[in-house]
Amino acid sequence: MALVDVKSVTKRFGGLTAVSDVDLTVNTGEVHCLIGPNGAGKSTLFKLIVGLYPPTKGSIFFDSVDITQERPFARVQRGMSIKMQAPSVFKELPVRQNIQIALQERFSGAERDLEEERLLTMLDLASESSKLAGALSHGQQQWLEIGMALALQPQLLLLDEPTAGMSPEETFKTGELIKSFNAEGMTVLVVEHDMAFVRQIAQRVTVLHLGKIFARGSLETIIQDENVAEIYLGKTHAH
Amino acid sequence: MFKLLDGPQTLGRGRTFWSCFLAVLAAALIYPAFADSYDVGNFSYFLIWVFMALGLCLMWGYGGMLSFGQTFFFGISGYAYGVLAINMGGGSTTIAALVLSVIIAMIAAGILGYFMIWGGISGIFFGIVTLSATLVLAFFLGQTAGPEWHIGTARLNGFNGMKGMDPLTVGDFYIEGSALYYVMVALIVVVYIALRMLVNSRIGNVIVATRENPQRAEMLGYDVRKYQLFTFIIGSGLAGLSGALYTSWGQFITPSSIGLPAAAMPIVWVAFSGRSDLTATLVGSFLLLFGFQTITVYSQQAALVLMGTLLLATVMLAPQGFVLGVGKLVVDRWTGRRRRGANPALAESSRLQSDEA
Amino acid sequence: MSAELFSVFYQFADVFAFLILSAAGLAIVFGMMGVINMAHGEFIMCGAYVTVGLVKLGVPLAIAQALAAVTAGLIGVAVEYLIVRRLYKRPLDSLLATWGLSLIVTQSMLLIVGSSITGIGTPEGSFAIGGYTFSTYRLVLFACAVAVLIGLYVTFMKTRFGVMARATMQNAAMAKALGARTGRIYAISFGIGAGLAGLCGALYAPTMTLIPTMGATFVVESFVTVVVGGANVLLGTAPAAVFLAMIRMALNASYGQIIGQIGMLFAVILIIRVLPEGLSSVLVRRGR
Repeated sequence: MALVDVKSVTKRFGGLTAVSDVDLTVNTGEVHCLIGPNGAGKSTLFKLIVGLYPPTKGSIFFDSVDITQERPFARVQRGMSIKMQAPSVFKELPVRQNIQIALQERFSGAERDLEEERLLTMLDLASESSKLAGALSHGQQQWLEIGMALALQPQLLLLDEPTAGMSPEETFKTGELIKSFNAEGMTVLVVEHDMAFVRQIAQRVTVLHLGKIFARGSLETIIQDENVAEIYLGKTHAH
Repeated sequence: MFKLLDGPQTLGRGRTFWSCFLAVLAAALIYPAFADSYDVGNFSYFLIWVFMALGLCLMWGYGGMLSFGQTFFFGISGYAYGVLAINMGGGSTTIAALVLSVIIAMIAAGILGYFMIWGGISGIFFGIVTLSATLVLAFFLGQTAGPEWHIGTARLNGFNGMKGMDPLTVGDFYIEGSALYYVMVALIVVVYIALRMLVNSRIGNVIVATRENPQRAEMLGYDVRKYQLFTFIIGSGLAGLSGALYTSWGQFITPSSIGLPAAAMPIVWVAFSGRSDLTATLVGSFLLLFGFQTITVYSQQAALVLMGTLLLATVMLAPQGFVLGVGKLVVDRWTGRRRRGANPALAESSRLQSDEA
Repeated sequence: MSAELFSVFYQFADVFAFLILSAAGLAIVFGMMGVINMAHGEFIMCGAYVTVGLVKLGVPLAIAQALAAVTAGLIGVAVEYLIVRRLYKRPLDSLLATWGLSLIVTQSMLLIVGSSITGIGTPEGSFAIGGYTFSTYRLVLFACAVAVLIGLYVTFMKTRFGVMARATMQNAAMAKALGARTGRIYAISFGIGAGLAGLCGALYAPTMTLIPTMGATFVVESFVTVVVGGANVLLGTAPAAVFLAMIRMALNASYGQIIGQIGMLFAVILIIRVLPEGLSSVLVRRGR
C-alpha cells in the first residue's frame, strides 16, 4: 500500500535539471531511506514531496490524493510532518513554547500539558524548557525540531539529514527513536548520506544519482550492490 | 482566562504587575474629579492615538509586519466617520458611524493585505508599499478642494479638511469632556486586555511563530498567510478606531493627519516604547504623546525634530525600545532582590519573564 | 500625425524621466546594501536648495546643478559613515534611522528657512511641432535620465569599482575575502545614491516650488519604481520605469495627475501579487 507515490517527477532550475523523471513509492509502515552522493538531487526531491516548490513535470500522491499543487501547510494537515535539513526552530521563543506551537492543533487542555512533558522528557530537554530555543546546542536544536515534527502525530514523518551535526551517540539515539515510532505504525522517509545510520534504521532504500533513480530495494540488496558502492566510494575518494 | 491574560507573550505578570495596573486604572478613573476640563479633554486626545500604537505593536512587534500604513487606515476611517455622520444625520447614528467606519478600515486592510501577503512581500517592501498607499491617499484628499468632491452632503474640502460632523452622541447627549474621557479609558482597557488575551492564545502562538520563522510555522500545518492577514486587519482596524475617534473628538479631519510626517508618528511611539510588548507600547506612547503635545504648544517643528531624534536614537542605542529597556531593568532589580540566594541559573532564565505569580 | 506621435512620446519621456531620476539613487542603495534610504527625499530637497542658492549667487544653472549633486553625494557619504554603516546587518533599522533623519532634516529646515523660498523659474525655450508647443527643458530632463542610466551601466559594468561593487552585492563576505574593501564600496555607493537624489532635486528645482517637505513629492514614485524593479538596479529599474510611465501617461492624459498616481499604485499592488520579487527576478530568470 503506497502512502507516498511520486510519479515521473522532473524539476528544472533554469537550465539545470535537478531531478529527472523520478518515480518513488513509500509504503505504509516502512522506514524508507533516500540516499545518494552530494548533488544527487535528494534534497530537491525531498522539497518537492514537502511542497516547497512545484515540480516542472509529473505528480505526487499522498494517500492516493493528488497533492502536486498543494502548499506545505495543506500537506501537513493531511498527515505529513517535516524536518528540514538545517535546524529551524523558533529561536527567540522558549523551548516549551516551540513544543506548544507544534502540539496545540492536536491536543488541548490537560492532555496537551501531559503530551508536552512527555515530549520534553523524551527529547532530554525537560531541564532546558525555559531556555530560548536559539540558546540550545546544534544537536539539541535538531532534537527539538524532531520533537516538533513528532508532536503532530503524523502518518508520514519526513526527515532531511536528521543527524547532521550530531555526535555518534546522539545519532544512534535518534535512530532508535525513529525505530520506536515506526514500530507504533508511523511511516518514515529519511534523506541521509551517513551509511551507518541508514544501516541502523532503513528497511527499504532508494539510491539517487545525478537526479535519476540509480537503484532501489531492500537494505540488504542495496548494501551488496557494487555499483552503489562505487558511486559512493568514487565520491569519498574525491573528498 | 487568567492564563491568557498572564501568558508568555506579555511582560508584566503576577500579582505585583496587576496591582500596579489596578492602581493606575483607579488613578485614571478619579482623575477628572481633580483636573480641570481642559486637561481632561487633552488626556482624551492622547488616548485617541493609543489604539493605533497598540495595533502597530501587534503587527510589528508580535507579527513581524512593519506597516507604515497606520495613518492610511486612520484616514480612511476618520473620513468615513465624517461622511457617515454627516449623511446619516447625526444623533445616535454616530455610534453606528463609528462602528461602520472601523469596519470600512478593516475591509480596506483586508484588500491591501491580501495583495501584499498573498504576493509574499515582507520586511522592507511591506513598509514601503503601505507607505506609498498612505501618501497617495493624502495627496488625493489634498486636491479634493473643489465642490465636485463630495460624498452625499459631505464635502471633502481638500487641505482644509472635512468638518461639520456630529461628535459621538447618544440621544441628545454629546459624548464630550469627562464622558468622552471615560469612554476612552474603558475602550483602552478593553482593547488592551483583549490584545493580551489574543497574543497569549493559540492564535498568538502562531502569530509569533510566523514572525520568528514563517517556513517552520507553515511546516507545522499553519496557513501563515491567513494569520498574517488576520493580524494586519486587527492592527489596521485599531488605527481605524483611532481615526474615527479623532474625527468625532475634534469634528474635523484633514489630509495632514494621513501624510508625512503624521505617518511616521506611530512608528516613533512604538519603536521608542518597545515594539515587542503591549504594556511598554501603551505606557511609552502615552508618555510620548504627552511630551509631544507639551512641546507643540511652543513649536510643532521642534516637537517633530524631537520625534525624529528619538527614532534615530532608539535605533542606534536601544533597538528594543527605551521604555521596554527601563521596564526590564526595574523588573530585574525587583526580582533580583527577591531571588537573592535562589538558584542563579533559574533567575537568569526567567530574566525576561518575571513569573512571580 | 507625426506631431501627435511626438506628443505621446513627449508625455512618456516626461513621466519616464521623473521616475528614473527620482528612483535611481534609491535603487542603487537598495540594490547594493538592501537598505531603503528614507531620507532619499531630503537628499532631493538638498539638491534643489543648493541649486537655487547657487543660481541666486550668480552661478550658471548647469554648474549649480552639478555642484548640488556633488554636495548631496558628500553629505550621503557622511550619513553612511555616521549612521547607516552601523546598521548593515539590520536593514529595517537602517530604514527607521534614516526616517528619523528625514524628520529631523525637514522639520529643522522648516524652523530655519521657513516654508518656501522663491524659485528660479524654468529655463525658457520651447519648440513647436505641428500645432503643439513643447518645453525644451523637459526634453533635457529626459536626456539626463537616459544619461544617468547609461552612466550607471558603465560604472557598474565597465569599471573596476563596478566589478567590486557587483561582487559585494552578490556576496559581501566573499568579496571581502577576495580583497574588496566593502566598507569603502558601501560608502561610495551610498554617496552615489545620495548624489543621484541630489541631481534629481537639482534638475527639478527650476520647475517647482521649493519647500522643505518637497521630498515627499518624489518618494512615492521612487518607492514604487524600486518595488516593481526589484533588487537588481541595472536590470530592473529601467524596465519598471518604462512600464509605470506607460500606465501613468495613459491615465494622466485621460483623468489627470492624481488619478494617474492612484492608478499607478493600484498597478503596483497588482504586480506584487504576481511578481513579489519585482521585474528584475523575471528578467534574470529569462536570461538564464
